[in-house]
Amino acid sequence: MDIFSDLMMGLSLAITPINLLYLLAGAMLGMIVGVIPGFGPSAGLAILLPVTFGMDPVGAIMMLAAIYYGAMYGGTITSILLNTPGESATVASTFDGFPLAKNGRAGPALVMQAVASFVGGTVGVIMITLLAPMFAQVSRSFGPPEYFLLAVMGMLTLIVMIGQQWKLGIISAMIGFALGTVGVDLETGQGRYTFGSAELIGGIYFIPIAIGLFGLGELFYAFHQGTHKTGTGGIVEYDKEERFWPTKHDFMSTRMTMARNSVLGFIVGVIPGAGATIASLMAYSTERSLSKHPERFGKGEMAGLVAPETANNAASSGAMIPLLTLGIPGSASTAVLLAAFLMWGLRPGPLFMEQNPELAWGLIASMYLGNMVLLIISIFAIPLFVQMIKVPYRILGPCVIVICTLGTFSVHASFIETYLMFAAGIVGFFMRLYGFSPAALVLALVLGPLAEEALRQTLTISRGSFSIFIERQASLWIIGVTLLLVVGLPLLNRFGKSAGDAEKVGS
Amino acid sequence: MRLAFMFVVLAGAVFYSYVAFVDLSFLSRTGRLGPGFFPRLVGVSAVVMTIWVIVDLLRDQRPEEDDASSWGDVVKLMVLALAYAVLLRLFGGFIATVIYLAMTLTVMNRDKYLQNAILSLTFPAGVYLLFDKLLNANMPPALFSFLN
Repeated sequence: MDIFSDLMMGLSLAITPINLLYLLAGAMLGMIVGVIPGFGPSAGLAILLPVTFGMDPVGAIMMLAAIYYGAMYGGTITSILLNTPGESATVASTFDGFPLAKNGRAGPALVMQAVASFVGGTVGVIMITLLAPMFAQVSRSFGPPEYFLLAVMGMLTLIVMIGQQWKLGIISAMIGFALGTVGVDLETGQGRYTFGSAELIGGIYFIPIAIGLFGLGELFYAFHQGTHKTGTGGIVEYDKEERFWPTKHDFMSTRMTMARNSVLGFIVGVIPGAGATIASLMAYSTERSLSKHPERFGKGEMAGLVAPETANNAASSGAMIPLLTLGIPGSASTAVLLAAFLMWGLRPGPLFMEQNPELAWGLIASMYLGNMVLLIISIFAIPLFVQMIKVPYRILGPCVIVICTLGTFSVHASFIETYLMFAAGIVGFFMRLYGFSPAALVLALVLGPLAEEALRQTLTISRGSFSIFIERQASLWIIGVTLLLVVGLPLLNRFGKSAGDAEKVGS
Repeated sequence: MRLAFMFVVLAGAVFYSYVAFVDLSFLSRTGRLGPGFFPRLVGVSAVVMTIWVIVDLLRDQRPEEDDASSWGDVVKLMVLALAYAVLLRLFGGFIATVIYLAMTLTVMNRDKYLQNAILSLTFPAGVYLLFDKLLNANMPPALFSFLN
């Protein structure tokens, strides 16, 4: 079977001492970043991307992927022990995770979340293995019209998921598009918004903006909210409990929960713009609806923790499908991954798996290994991460600023980029404060140039006629799917959020 | 503050649109979409949406709830971060980081002098080892080194 032999090839590349070391380092770093409140996969990837420069592409991509889903694993620890989600995708884990900890079951909760994350992540990778080649095959027929429509779909689905603040989401996207136009127009060679600056001729580089928005912006916001003033006195001490390990009943009663939410999470993750947050909320709602004892949810029901945890890790895997096979990132995290690929001269898309099989399958193989490594780290390194949570934010904050600054500088040895990062941090803070969407900005910054190029190519092919979008079958399919998502996703989002709101008011 | 921020965004959008309409052509010489096509679309959309949001905010009678005390520390952190940017240019990576951490921890982590002193030296040393030695990454050079 071709898939099997490709996977074996990928494993042979992934299982080398140095690559395993990168995998382990990435997983640990990802979990550490995930544990810091407010910092999720996007921030982790943006801040740690400069660390991978100088590595070979296979090792670097493996490390980045490990950081990506390591951050998902780490974000739940604070959800359970502190009732503070590590990032938005772990909000649903607080609904039953913290009550479990308060009921003296923090240890079993921590172990079960690791197992659930492992199952969700592994099922997700198996589905990538089976579906990615198929997606790549289908997308080979795509041309510029389809790529333009896919970019539009990615932006629209992200914006509709923002909900009530959709106008601010559109403005955020426009800011991202605007930043993406800075530089030289490829078709005419004319400078756009460079104002005679040699530094801006190359355009605004993605990394300083991402680090500023997600790293510094989040940090400034946390200080504004007073996170640095509150101690960690509210942390649940799990090591004083009688029992650390889950019971047989915990495993048996949640096996179907893990199975169905792996698939649900993966499907939601594939949809550009949907992501792990929606997947986890939907999984929670679905599980509560299906449960024989829905009244137990919100009071320390193990299935209420396992469902969102399985789904968010499966969704993280699902999000790799549009990235690898279409070259379209569906979230801020995968936008950073795409930027990393482009930096190494790789172009994810239909031909990526064919032209770079060692990279594509090395990445997929590393995700199997990564999930195993993270399961072990998640369980046995819990005391280490708990110590990390106890480091006061007022000390952690300045240290994170140092890492962000030096990391940004290390990319191109450019002070201008460093200053851009600080500016993006201040803008990111205000965006966060006033309900804008940094994710939409970053996605637009990456997708904007791709979309513009695709549209101009399309109109060149069609000699200026927009009817090309309805003459091509693939384009019609994409338009249909986009309309379905634009109408259907807000309804699903409302379904997910209604369960979350119910938990918050204790109903 | 929210309204002020929106006006800043509007000013940016207007400026962006102005440059798009004045400096960048809509069509290229060959009749294809030119460098101004996408920026005009983006600029006009940004202006329209921002004005819409500003109108909504002006109609919204609710006073903005914002605790003035929550701004103190974040402004200090921002000012210190910007000072760090200047220090980096003057003193280079390691020394600037030591000075920055010493200043920031003194402000944020009050009365913990020994802890702050230890952190101000050990953390930059660790980061320097990581970036400069282990990863062979660029560290900001000191301005004074250019004069030597």
